[in-house]
Amino acid sequence: MAIHKIILASFLVYLMIQFSHGATKERLFSDLEKDALDVTAKPSRQGVLDAGIDKLSITWKLSSTAKKQANFKTIKVKLCYAPVSQVDRPWRKTENELFKDKTCPHKIITRAYNKSSQSFKYTLDRDIPTGTYFVRTYAVDAKDHEVAFGQSTNEAKTTNLFSVQAISGRHKSLDIASVCFSVFSVLALLVFFVNEKRKAKLEQSK
Amino acid sequence: MAHRNEEEGSIGTSMHGVTAKEHVFSFSDQGEDAWSSHSVQSDDPTAMFAFPVDSEHKAKVFKPLSFAKPHMRAFHLGWISFFTCFISTFAAAPLVPIIRDNLDLTKTDIGNAGVASVSGAIFSRLAMGAVCDLLGARYGTAFLLMLSAPAVFSMSFVADAGGYLSVRFMIGFCLATFVSCSYWTSVMFTGKIIGLVNGCAGGWGDMGGGVTQLLMPMVFHIIKVAGATPFTAWRIAFFIPGFLQVIMGILVLTLGQDFPDGNLSTLQKKGDVSKDKLTKVFWYALRNYRTYVLFILYGFSMGIEMTINNVISEYFFDRFQLELHTAGMIAASFGMANFFARPIGGFASDVSARFFGMRGRLWTLWILQTSGGLFCVWLGRATSLPIAILAMMLFSFGVQAACGAIFGIVPFVSRRSLGIISGLTGAGGNFGSGLTQLPFFSSSRFHTADGLSLMGITAMIFTLLVAFIHFPQWGSMFLGPTSDNRTSKEEHYYVAEWTEEEKLQGLHEGSLKFAENSRSERGKKAAPDGTSTPLENENPANV
Repeated sequence: MAIHKIILASFLVYLMIQFSHGATKERLFSDLEKDALDVTAKPSRQGVLDAGIDKLSITWKLSSTAKKQANFKTIKVKLCYAPVSQVDRPWRKTENELFKDKTCPHKIITRAYNKSSQSFKYTLDRDIPTGTYFVRTYAVDAKDHEVAFGQSTNEAKTTNLFSVQAISGRHKSLDIASVCFSVFSVLALLVFFVNEKRKAKLEQSK
Repeated sequence: MAHRNEEEGSIGTSMHGVTAKEHVFSFSDQGEDAWSSHSVQSDDPTAMFAFPVDSEHKAKVFKPLSFAKPHMRAFHLGWISFFTCFISTFAAAPLVPIIRDNLDLTKTDIGNAGVASVSGAIFSRLAMGAVCDLLGARYGTAFLLMLSAPAVFSMSFVADAGGYLSVRFMIGFCLATFVSCSYWTSVMFTGKIIGLVNGCAGGWGDMGGGVTQLLMPMVFHIIKVAGATPFTAWRIAFFIPGFLQVIMGILVLTLGQDFPDGNLSTLQKKGDVSKDKLTKVFWYALRNYRTYVLFILYGFSMGIEMTINNVISEYFFDRFQLELHTAGMIAASFGMANFFARPIGGFASDVSARFFGMRGRLWTLWILQTSGGLFCVWLGRATSLPIAILAMMLFSFGVQAACGAIFGIVPFVSRRSLGIISGLTGAGGNFGSGLTQLPFFSSSRFHTADGLSLMGITAMIFTLLVAFIHFPQWGSMFLGPTSDNRTSKEEHYYVAEWTEEEKLQGLHEGSLKFAENSRSERGKKAAPDGTSTPLENENPANV
């Protein structure tokens, strides 16, 4: 049990270190400058997009109403959940505290800030879950703190949304292996069972 | 109280005072003589065993590091099978953050699947005692392992919430290995040490719920590194518990033995041993109100433990923004505390019985389970990671030791229906797990943190039921034994389970013997007539 305690102790230390860079704890989403960037996200085709196959054409540029652009150092483009995909899923919840906010977990691309219009063709990753999404770009300063953002939808997150269908993760080879091992398991049991019954009958008849 | 020697066997002998004839899950309870007349004839039967054995050839010592045939081998095969089933049943839990994205699950879906994963065993645990009687412990275990392995493999087919729930439900049946494992150890080890043996088997088996939180994320990670995408990798990861089950099933059948003297099919056991009637045994179990109290109590110790196995990894992952394997490691510590916590609970129960008798056991249970509930409330309130981990560890110790302590009381509730009551208590654990997962963790009504605190409060409230367990001969938490001369005798309590005709046939002899030995549960005030533990006095050097 000494090993158990050592592992636990070293974990506590490790986690306390991990946890202590919480300088971003109190920074709020509502403090960020809204609509500092004009963002568009155009799906490569109509209908529900397939993860791993379909693409998004994303463009962003500085909005005419932006004020804090002097601080912009990098632009982080992220894929975000629309409210309909957050229902009954607290792990995707929108929170005001930035470090707690789980709305935009999927990173698309990070680029240095450039005044001119930027674009990127994003192929949906294979681990994107099924859901309804929009794109948001965060403008980040030199201290890696978010300063402003822009998104491809309106403030209520109801327009310009697109849907994605995840890959199933299933494979024919996996299915076949699964059936084979299952059959083996049941057969092995039956073989042992029948064998033993037979041996017992033989013994009894002796 | 007879002196106890300091071998491992002396710790946690919660069956202290029980006759060595204890068949926990068999209905056949004639007496020493009837049984030994059915063992395989040989010139010196005891000489061929690695350990000293009693007249039923059950081992009188417990040496965990040995694998000797047949006793220790049965112990290890039994608890490892149980351990493997715990791994499979809770294998999904640490991978839920991936699975929920793949299958587009909602919190309700996840919660319902968690309930389903523990519900199947409510029924399989009830039936398992009879199955072991029919097929023997080996086939009982092997059936569970090898028939639920296909369910584990079929995770590769799952495409939605419904499939996920069905598969978890079917895998969950194999938790009945708790019963087959206890059955197997009970026919292999003598009554004096069966408490320790079952405490270890139960505790080490329960550890599987902790190990799986480490194992599955690790396997998942390795498969991902080998090139699979996450949504395929988790499916492949499930092949590991599946393989473990099949391998264990084969090992049990090839290396194990049903009884000390051989296998069920080769022994001529079904000669003239009159089996007790199942309906009668069931009836006496259901008539005894303590059965229901224990059912509920175990639901709030073992039940809570299983619920935590299902929710804790996801909780740490989400609340403290940890990596998947980090959350898994913390969650694993919870289940792994079982290694010592459960046996310690049994030991504490036995020690308190030495001084205060059954009343001591009841107080010990109440203290352990209530503190478990209290720390569960604290776990839900904790907002910093180190405090949460501390609360979780204290909580784990409390509930797991309570599990050990409950099984220090179970053997005394009934002599005739011991098997059924043990099975029912075990089923209560699963029932409690389903009961706590449904309202607290299956909807978006509560944050998981609040669910934890509410579960802790509910546990503390239901644990108050311990005060209602009253034995006329020994008392309860707040009341002493009755002063009535007739009903304050242990014999009266245990013989009341037999009808007059049965008594005329002498079927109650075993209960009489048991009653005599159970006088140790009076604590220090055990009758000074010196007959409190006749069997122990006979062999002071061997516990």
